Amino acid sequence: MLWNRKLFKNINWYIPIVTILLIAIGILAISSAAELNKESYTGIRLIKKQLISVVLGTIFIIIIQLFDYRIFQHYASVIYIGTIGVLAIIFIIGTTAKGTTGWISLGSFNFQPSELAKVTMILVLAEVIDRNREELNYLTGFLKPFIYVLIPTLLIILQNDLGTSLVLIVIFIGMLFVGGGNIRFLVLIFGGGFSLVVLLIASHLLFNTPLIFFKKYQLDRLIVFINPGIDPTGIGYNLIQSKIALGSGRIYGKGLFAGTQNQLRFLPEKHTDFIFSVIGEEFGFIGVLVVIILYLILLWQIINVAREAKDNYGRLVATGIAAMFFFHVLENIGMTMGLMPITGLPLPFISYGGSSMVTSLIAIGLVINVNIRRKKIVF
Amino acid sequence: MDERLKVFKIVVVLTLLILALRAGQLQLFMGDYFYELSEGNRLSERPISAPRGKVMDKKGNILVSNKEAYDLYLLPNEVSPEISVEDLLQELASLTGLDYGILQTNYDNQERSSSAVLLRRNISREMMVIIKENKDALPGVYIESSSMRDYVYGELGAHFLGYVGEISLSELREFNESGYNYRGGDIVGKIGLEMEYEQFLRGHDGIEQIEVNSRGQKVKTLSIKPPVPGNDLVLNINLELQQYFEDILLEEFYRLRDIAADDPELFPPTGAAGIVMNPNSGEILAIVSVPKFDPNKFVSGLSYEEYAALNNDPLKPLFNRPIMSQVNPGSVFKLVTGTAAVENLGVRADTVFYDRNGKYTIGEWEYRNWLSWGEGEIDFIRSFARSNNVVFYQLGHELYKLDRGDKMAWTARQYGFGSLSGIDLPGEKAGLVPDNEWKMRTQGEIWYPGDAVHLAIGQKITVTPLQLVNFISVIANGGTLYRPHLADKIIDANGEVVLDIKPEIIRKVPFKKSTFEILRKGMIAAANEPYGTASRQLRDLSVKVAGKTGTAQTGIAGANHGWFAGFAPADDPEIALVVFLEEGNSSSYTLPIAARVIEKYFSMQVDESGE
Repeated sequence: MLWNRKLFKNINWYIPIVTILLIAIGILAISSAAELNKESYTGIRLIKKQLISVVLGTIFIIIIQLFDYRIFQHYASVIYIGTIGVLAIIFIIGTTAKGTTGWISLGSFNFQPSELAKVTMILVLAEVIDRNREELNYLTGFLKPFIYVLIPTLLIILQNDLGTSLVLIVIFIGMLFVGGGNIRFLVLIFGGGFSLVVLLIASHLLFNTPLIFFKKYQLDRLIVFINPGIDPTGIGYNLIQSKIALGSGRIYGKGLFAGTQNQLRFLPEKHTDFIFSVIGEEFGFIGVLVVIILYLILLWQIINVAREAKDNYGRLVATGIAAMFFFHVLENIGMTMGLMPITGLPLPFISYGGSSMVTSLIAIGLVINVNIRRKKIVF
Repeated sequence: MDERLKVFKIVVVLTLLILALRAGQLQLFMGDYFYELSEGNRLSERPISAPRGKVMDKKGNILVSNKEAYDLYLLPNEVSPEISVEDLLQELASLTGLDYGILQTNYDNQERSSSAVLLRRNISREMMVIIKENKDALPGVYIESSSMRDYVYGELGAHFLGYVGEISLSELREFNESGYNYRGGDIVGKIGLEMEYEQFLRGHDGIEQIEVNSRGQKVKTLSIKPPVPGNDLVLNINLELQQYFEDILLEEFYRLRDIAADDPELFPPTGAAGIVMNPNSGEILAIVSVPKFDPNKFVSGLSYEEYAALNNDPLKPLFNRPIMSQVNPGSVFKLVTGTAAVENLGVRADTVFYDRNGKYTIGEWEYRNWLSWGEGEIDFIRSFARSNNVVFYQLGHELYKLDRGDKMAWTARQYGFGSLSGIDLPGEKAGLVPDNEWKMRTQGEIWYPGDAVHLAIGQKITVTPLQLVNFISVIANGGTLYRPHLADKIIDANGEVVLDIKPEIIRKVPFKKSTFEILRKGMIAAANEPYGTASRQLRDLSVKVAGKTGTAQTGIAGANHGWFAGFAPADDPEIALVVFLEEGNSSSYTLPIAARVIEKYFSMQVDESGE
């Protein structure tokens, strides 16, 4: 029997509770960002959609608990082929939003398969790394998972979603590191990739060679990040507004619905990418600390789940999910503060967006699954 | 291996610590600085206006463009605290001669924020110089060069191009509710293509955000949001043909009015319209409404008297006749009656009718032909060419006997009458196709045989000139009803196509190919056979024309609407056209106009291929 009531005795309550708190903060921040106080129709619609996503995600969490997570290990190859297939089919039926091609339209909902691909790739990579765990110290054992992750990464880059492809790479590095991969290879691939990108950009700027993998606006964001002073055409607009919003919140914030940067619409993409700036403006440093501490607890506990996992596969799945959330939090919060270049990565559980919410909740479902099955059940 | 999970934990803790420290730096140490910026005390925004997109004809001739203008703004943040805004506006009014009341009203009406307040649009160059010279006395007053709409050819195409004006309160509300971001004082399309394609044509203003010191002087530029120019609209209109059609229609219009002024028997036409379209795609090549007006006047600001004069002019120059006039089509409608007769009564090209004495009688009622004598034996084709009412009275009566005339109304609706054609212009009218159901609903009476015979010759029903030419196109192309469209494509500032407007089929009308063959033969005979009603002016042209005239009674004897609708070349149509003279006595006056427009179109083609 796959499911047993006793399984719940093992649950680490921190994880669901912190998740609920983050979602609640998110709903509050979206309400303000969507100007719900101004009788805005859009605001009500956004909140409704966000709540629907939460319900949908919760249903997934429950469904996931019905199976032992090892079933994903068993079907890893099927999951992998499915992931590649969906990512590839986007080029035929996908629609474009904000420069990214990777949207599939499902009636009134648009779904971004690359979001889900992060989770499915964690399930696949965990199996590939687990299977090759004896060889991870050697180049062959290292290259296999690398090739597995490379194909979806390239597909996502081709959809102009640089942020998500970076997440995949961070997940890969994190899982390989925890899985026992050879540190030298990790340094090599990380450093090598970084040098290649630097080389591509340098050669574009110096010799005007075509940019591979990059779009002009992505390069612009990078330039602004490196040098915010270069601001002739307003490419630093978002960053400046975000910093003003955050900073002006001071210790206690301006209060809900009272953020001028937010409500007067200086802040761009405020209910999605820059939701953290809204939190900073309206809830101040206190609010920022609360959110950061909640993420700290969540990540800490997910890593604990990894440590206590029954087997190596579960341990790797939890690690991959921790790495995914970690990078999202670092990149999203970092960019609002000018510490990271601007990408479209959402803040898990807080940013508006159905694909991201459902995916994040599925990930939490998987963590809980690994968590509650950490011991043999005693009848 | 737990060691590595520990390392992961350390990385997480350190990273989140860095984020928290950075937040502390921004919010605690620099918090006051950012707070002042956000409060607008030290932040000011200057608009950078973005040009609206141009409109051009198919060949790229620019019809609507922008010219330089100056807008006068007040930046409240930059007014030093010692001076009141009222005093400042008084000073400004006395220096420039602008009306203080208007300035104050404009200032009061706009939402208070850190952004600029538009005091006055399109100030003169002289005024700009005065203000610049007195800069020190006018802190916070600021001039921004902007652009003003320029209708390059004045009155040309005024009705379809439309004009722009300042956004009204209701428009502001409506646009912003549908998710577009507009502000008070923005310029929007008010009618015509300017309105239809507003969302493409409008530019998006940029903003220069500057940090100012406590005296309102600029310290530095914080950011510039660059203006985005509007997209350009490329039309299917052919400028040369449009200009020619407008010129001769206007010329004939005034000539006919002059003649009528001297002849008490004649009525002066009160308006005219003409359309040339490609019957194989619905592309509008020329669309004319007479009399005309100059849209530039609306842009520079019309006084109340000027507007009232235009609005109350009995010839209604602002009325866009091709799409808004709803009038009887007269005998042109016999082509619809003919369709219903062939499809439902089994009438053929060689069916012979008999016109004994120029009258058709139903009981005690008598319906007359336009001739007072009978034409004797007459076949179906010839009855189109002669526009013989007796034949069509009979057909109308026969159709009535089938199902109380519903078939005829249905046939007319299939051809697009009674519904909007969907042309890309606002304000189109649908006309009315009357039938039994309509008459019961509106008058509480049934549809009588007398109604049916009147409908058969194009009375009772009302159509727009556009519907009529679109209907003629269906006959010309053999059964396809297209959505007429003026715009060909929309291109951005870099010349990339944003929207390519392709021919759009409304429906394939459910009639036989052979039916259209008969209608075409009738129209060819009308324009080419010696006995045809339109042949004298059309048979000697360089191309073979097919056409049908129509004279619709208006209720005032003599003040009839004149129609011509046709296509050319008859065997392989490239254009369909309609000419409409409102209360223009007779259809015969439309024919010289049609002849000249057709000759013009085909001579242009020769010129081009000859190059």
